[in-house]
Amino acid sequence: MRFFRQDLHTLTGAYALDALDSASETARFSRHLSRCQSCAAEVRGFREVATAMAFAATTEAPAAMREQVMTAAARTRQLPPEIRTHARPRRTRGSAPWIPWLSGAVATAAIAVAVFFGFSQAHTQDQLNAARAQSHALAAEQARVEAELTQAREHDQALAQILGAPHVTLLSHSTSKGGVAVVVLDAATRKLVVATSGLPALPAGQVYQLWLIGPVKIVSAGLLPAAQAGVTTPVVATGIVKGDKLGLTVEPAGGSKQPTTTPIVALPLPV
Amino acid sequence: MNPNDSDASRFRPATADRRGERDLDDLLVHVARGDQGAFETLYDRMVGPVYGVIRKVLRDPSQSEEVAQEVLLEVWRNAARFDPAMGGAATWVTTIAHRRAIDRIRSTTAAARREHRTADVSPPHDEVAEAVEASLDRERVRRCLEGLTEVQRESITLAYYGGNSYRQVAELLNVTLGAIKTRIRDGLIRMRDCLGVS
Repeated sequence: MRFFRQDLHTLTGAYALDALDSASETARFSRHLSRCQSCAAEVRGFREVATAMAFAATTEAPAAMREQVMTAAARTRQLPPEIRTHARPRRTRGSAPWIPWLSGAVATAAIAVAVFFGFSQAHTQDQLNAARAQSHALAAEQARVEAELTQAREHDQALAQILGAPHVTLLSHSTSKGGVAVVVLDAATRKLVVATSGLPALPAGQVYQLWLIGPVKIVSAGLLPAAQAGVTTPVVATGIVKGDKLGLTVEPAGGSKQPTTTPIVALPLPV
Repeated sequence: MNPNDSDASRFRPATADRRGERDLDDLLVHVARGDQGAFETLYDRMVGPVYGVIRKVLRDPSQSEEVAQEVLLEVWRNAARFDPAMGGAATWVTTIAHRRAIDRIRSTTAAARREHRTADVSPPHDEVAEAVEASLDRERVRRCLEGLTEVQRESITLAYYGGNSYRQVAELLNVTLGAIKTRIRDGLIRMRDCLGVS
């Protein structure tokens, strides 16, 4: 055990340089850090070294980036401060708790949702392709969204097909419980990707379920994944028919065959 | 060295002091309240290191630009979550930048791409040589890196600038895992002491 701890302690350097080998190793070491004050102090010192190395790597960034970031910031809602309690164990997947660290699809959804929501408040919709022509600012947003979605593509082929489609429609709608559902719809293939942001957390034993609510029948489109930092990872739904609305209801754990509660959002899907 | 320096700031590189670490912390507090002017100032101060470190790791300019934008927007979104007790604002921002770059590499699962990237890593001496510029930051870091043993220097540059995990560094340098962990840690201790002394 003593050997094990010592061995773990020597990882402070690799940890501070983000050079641990896997998310699980990073998580394990983060837990160790919350218990080992001397390790945490050492990591802080090493991070200062890393900061100096980052400054030493200073490179002039493309000038156009500034306006793009400022435009995106102006449209991006800031997160409220985190309320910390000392009682809560400080464990965060893959990182020290004070560093925002979303990965892969979650990050994609978070930023995409933030950006979408910034310029498409409830009831508005934007054609991605039309956006480019509309204004420089919108084109910058579109570039951002596309960049994010490019990353998402690598994670999932079904996502890739939809997000890579030539004419997609962005839709967003606030729900009656708060939060917003964001949809990327590919009318040509009758598929969509949906992510949500800011939905209230449900008590144990309840889930959010997606539905395609058509004029003739209602079909389940699956359960929403548990939110991380308030954002759910994108879910793909297929087989949309004319007249369908995308619905979201609260259902008992495991989901239902047909909705048992009133939809908190019902978003018409133009296909 | 200022005798009033606390333990925490003893290890703070002169880099950070010279750039007004405290000002950056204050700026971030204003950013957290939605002050866009403060964000613009913060951007101007931090975009160089943010973009630079991401470029070092990713190499590809357009990918680096994408990731740098994400990082800066994340700084805006998460400014209220910044905790000065955990380190200065410059460290907070550059840590996010480096992690995002690493995240981008590790999320790219294509093995071929990774091999390509690993093969692309220039010898650490080139990293050091690249860093030679008039800037005092570069000069200090270069000097401190040169004070390390060769394996320490290679381990640290391959990990931080090369974006390799310590396991990959061990493979690249053909050294055992245990040895690499120790070399990185010992090297960072020397770097910390070297940078901490004005």
